[in-house]
Amino acid sequence: MMRAEQHVLPGVEESSATRTMEGSREKSEAPAVVLKGLHRSFGTQIVLDGIDLTVKSGETLAVLGRSGTGKSVLLKLIIGLQKPDSGSIRVHDQEITRLDLDALNELRKKMGFLFQHAALYDSLSVEQNIAFPLKRHTKMTDSERGDRVRQLLSNVGMESDLKKMPSDISGGMQKRVGLARALALEPGILLLDEPTAGLDPITSAEINELILKLQEEHDMASIVVTHDLQSAKTIADRIALLHEGQVLIEGSFEDLEKSDNEFVSEFMKRDS
Amino acid sequence: MRRPFEGQELLRQFDEIGSKSLPLVALAGAAIGFVLALESRSSLVHFGAASMLPAALVYSIIHETGPIVTGLVVSGRVGAGIGAELGSMKVTEQIDAIEASGVNPYKFLAFTRILACILVLPLLTIAADFCAVIFGWIAETLAEPVSFQRFINQGFAGATFKDFLAPTFRTVVFGLIIGMIGCFQGMRTQGGTAGVGLSATSSVVLSSLFVILADVILVKIILVFFS
Repeated sequence: MMRAEQHVLPGVEESSATRTMEGSREKSEAPAVVLKGLHRSFGTQIVLDGIDLTVKSGETLAVLGRSGTGKSVLLKLIIGLQKPDSGSIRVHDQEITRLDLDALNELRKKMGFLFQHAALYDSLSVEQNIAFPLKRHTKMTDSERGDRVRQLLSNVGMESDLKKMPSDISGGMQKRVGLARALALEPGILLLDEPTAGLDPITSAEINELILKLQEEHDMASIVVTHDLQSAKTIADRIALLHEGQVLIEGSFEDLEKSDNEFVSEFMKRDS
Repeated sequence: MRRPFEGQELLRQFDEIGSKSLPLVALAGAAIGFVLALESRSSLVHFGAASMLPAALVYSIIHETGPIVTGLVVSGRVGAGIGAELGSMKVTEQIDAIEASGVNPYKFLAFTRILACILVLPLLTIAADFCAVIFGWIAETLAEPVSFQRFINQGFAGATFKDFLAPTFRTVVFGLIIGMIGCFQGMRTQGGTAGVGLSATSSVVLSSLFVILADVILVKIILVFFS
């Protein structure tokens, strides 16, 4: 398949997304995301209690943990949808907790976010959903934008569903469209919130394969929040297991399997 | 950095808020004009002032009835619509998705809706006034046949452009109130579908309340500065 970078984003405004693409293609070892001492609580409930994590460019980190351990909150903190109580979040070497809204929006263009329920704009068609960021952040002509949308949809196997509304497609298809939208600006960092949740095993496997394929093609840093151990094993280079607001263990899938920590063993056993 | 003008979304809102409110506003205006003419007639006849009916009707419609009826009808239809739509977008993370894509959701969602409300309310008020006058004439004609031209001449005999301008354009403030309250209530929705319902209800209640309050204050201001 033709690599997306070959003729992507003609006329991308400024150089935000282009810079990111070029940066990621160089396979730099520089960390794309660095979290230090991250704390976040809601009322009296402490959700994140000192998270330290680093994700390098081109690397995929899967974040596992029980429900309510703050995995989705972690992604929302990274993209600036929520503010941490304390701690540092550096994305592409910029401390996002200190950025003003314009600077934060510039940085967000370098990140793609797939929401747990896809969060497609329900008043817009599939085509318009994917064109949404392109229309606002690039200087593409209508025809260039149309080509780009078709290319993105083709990458996720949905080129024939261009004109459908989100309500007319299945949950798995919505995830695919969400993924295509997240990749529209060729982000250097991809944040995936439960990409396989609620999907049947076959569709889950297809989504995993799709993510792997896209990661190989685009060479992004990815953080995948998931409950699905099989998915984590398939797509992640590294896994971090959250427990009681902290990273309990971080390593390869095999490291987690070999761990003699009681909670880790229980988690791996229950999920397998 | 280029600031794309959200023209397409603004046009969509003109259609949602303006075109789709027009039938209801026109109907409300027509009903008010008809009833006002029927009710006023008996009193005016009692005092031997039946010939004053067209002027009384036009004055009442242009100065108060048209603007406030339009404001309240739009509060109900559009206030609920904006509150529910944005509330639903909030609980399904669509607003987060807009924000995550580097687009300011306030500019894309709130500004376009508020601007559309501001621009559309005076136009809807003119439509309500027009229908009210037409149906006022119909009601009057049913009781005592009078030509439309004569009715209009008598109705607008003492009226000036100033009489029309200030009351009609106070609906700009109504539009601002309806748009802002709908967007505010919608974008702070919490708690799933129940929260969406609550946002829609509170948008209607608060915007109706503030439209009435604004009307009272603005009438006083208009009387001081434009009389």
